[in-house]
Amino acid sequence: MNPVAVIGTGQTRHARARDDASQPDLVREAAARAIEDAGIRARDIDAVVIANMELFEGRAWPELWVGEAAFAAGKPCLKVATGGTSGTSGCIAGFHQVASGLFDIVLVVGFEKHSEGHTQTGMTLTDPYWDRAVASGAVGNFALSVSQYMADRGVTELQAALVAVKARRNAVRNPHAHLQMPGITVEEVLASRLLAHPLRLLDMCPQSDGACAIVVAAGERARKLHPRPAWVRAAATRHEQPYIGDIDRRLVTMRTLRDAAREAYADAGIREPLKELDVAEIYEPVSYAELAWYEALGFCAEGEAGRLIEDGVTEMDGELPVNPSGGVLSTNPVGASGVIRVAEAALQIHGRGGARQVEGARTALATGYGVYAWADVIVLADRP
Amino acid sequence: MSEPLLVPIEMDQSWRYAATAAMARFCAGLKERRLEALRCDGCGKRYLPPRPVCGNCHLALRDWVAVRDEGRLAAWTVVHVPILDPRSGRMREAPYGMGLIRLDGADTTLNHYLAEQNPARLAIGLGVRAVWREQLVGAIDDILHFEVLR
Amino acid sequence: MIRESAIRIPFRYAAGAAGSRFLAALRDQQRILGARCAACARVLVPLRAFCPVCGSETLDTVEVGPGGTLQTWTTRADGTVFAVILLDGASSGLVHRLLDGGEEACCGLRVRARFATERRGGILDIAGFEPAQGGAT
Repeated sequence: MNPVAVIGTGQTRHARARDDASQPDLVREAAARAIEDAGIRARDIDAVVIANMELFEGRAWPELWVGEAAFAAGKPCLKVATGGTSGTSGCIAGFHQVASGLFDIVLVVGFEKHSEGHTQTGMTLTDPYWDRAVASGAVGNFALSVSQYMADRGVTELQAALVAVKARRNAVRNPHAHLQMPGITVEEVLASRLLAHPLRLLDMCPQSDGACAIVVAAGERARKLHPRPAWVRAAATRHEQPYIGDIDRRLVTMRTLRDAAREAYADAGIREPLKELDVAEIYEPVSYAELAWYEALGFCAEGEAGRLIEDGVTEMDGELPVNPSGGVLSTNPVGASGVIRVAEAALQIHGRGGARQVEGARTALATGYGVYAWADVIVLADRP
Repeated sequence: MSEPLLVPIEMDQSWRYAATAAMARFCAGLKERRLEALRCDGCGKRYLPPRPVCGNCHLALRDWVAVRDEGRLAAWTVVHVPILDPRSGRMREAPYGMGLIRLDGADTTLNHYLAEQNPARLAIGLGVRAVWREQLVGAIDDILHFEVLR
Repeated sequence: MIRESAIRIPFRYAAGAAGSRFLAALRDQQRILGARCAACARVLVPLRAFCPVCGSETLDTVEVGPGGTLQTWTTRADGTVFAVILLDGASSGLVHRLLDGGEEACCGLRVRARFATERRGGILDIAGFEPAQGGAT
């Protein structure tokens, strides 16, 4: 693959409801910050990728409405909608466009404005024959997989609560984050409202309004424009069968994330992820998922994820900080969440992480998760 | 800024989805309280409900095999968020049990409701049996829920 | 075999800073606002936060209309006449509707906005456009 790097990022202030901003305003906020961060002008952009789940905003062809806010008028622009992986899919589409040699600079913008619609109703639009009449929403669905994961790997509610606490405390150092809970405790998580056994309110990600953009540039341009580009060393994707009943114990096996990670690590020359990665921004829709991802990503052996969080290995002062940004558990505008992972990983390489910077970060991981088991794994580094 | 305005618009959408022949056959079976699965020629995996192709082998699925309306719990939860039962038009009261059931004769699991809502009385591996509604229309919720066999 | 399914989702779209000012001006002052882009001198209607052509965010608020020129129109099966009107002072056309069945419609027809008696801060605070005195240009 031709050398490709992230040279700029921009995010909005993420919140439960951004009534002050229209959908185009939200996109413009992130896009304008990204191009300023990259030190380029609107006319330097060769193509634009929009990531968004349009049903949630009820706007057919959102890329038409928000495209001009993303500087896309008169340029090639495409939209990506792949559930939670929309943002990482969008970034990978941008990487491919630049790596192809056809485009020098591509802007990727992901956004979602959950407050304007009713996401839970939209999410009832599953398989009309088998899944609509028998539904419990996303939370119930996850809870089913969690019951299998707990039975197989022995993780506990307490270990999951440690993940929930880590996320919200980390978010305090991230000025963009939606949920910031500096005083949150494990007791508070375990006492929060039970939604679907064993998932509690504070185990779940929020729904947020927000947008995030990255600027992707080809090798030569990247070097000219940025003193320390975040080079894309790997970008792997795996999708999966669309029915939860057909997937063997989703969180336990998670073959998509495992396979994508294997491919990405091979491409990036990583053999021991815990040692060789300096920071990871992983897409964790619920607290238990982060534990499952530790195992699928090879941070630890199967059955060891609980010990990893208990030993503080993934805290900010641990061997491999996971989600310094606060993760999806703190901020979740679905179309943007995957872009946020890549942007936060890039910020770490750029040395622009502010209060959430991991000292000397040179190799960063960003992952996407969506639908039942779709996965993207991206490796960024300070060298191509 | 001065008063942020919001524009309210209600969206009504409706669809009519066509079934494949296999889906139609499966639904006709439900009307007679009969369950069957499609078995893959390649790997032998038995899919219920039916799918057009095997997700592992990408082969078209053609062979039907009988499946019993009882099996074992492969996953479970108890949901505390009320949800609409489209058949009755009323809310299904929370808490209600949900599970993934591996029916005897199938390899996939079926996502369905459970009659039990006490987490202390639910576990992976428990035997369950379908409870059918009085009125059968040929839909997956002709099964009202699964009861735990004790 | 056919399975029917339906949903209803109530949306509430934020108009944003510029959109809110535009709608508030319709509702409270019966004025139509546009944005003049300093860089390319175009006047965009409705009022925007940035110029879609050059991307500039340096925009002046100007009043346009209430008179304008009919650019094009079409009649829907239910009789509603959709039209694109170039309001006096604007560079871009506004999509709205002609009142009175559009019997006099022709390109270049001079039209004028008629405001609704009850206004709520939506685009239909303009009830529609009707032929102005003076006929076509």
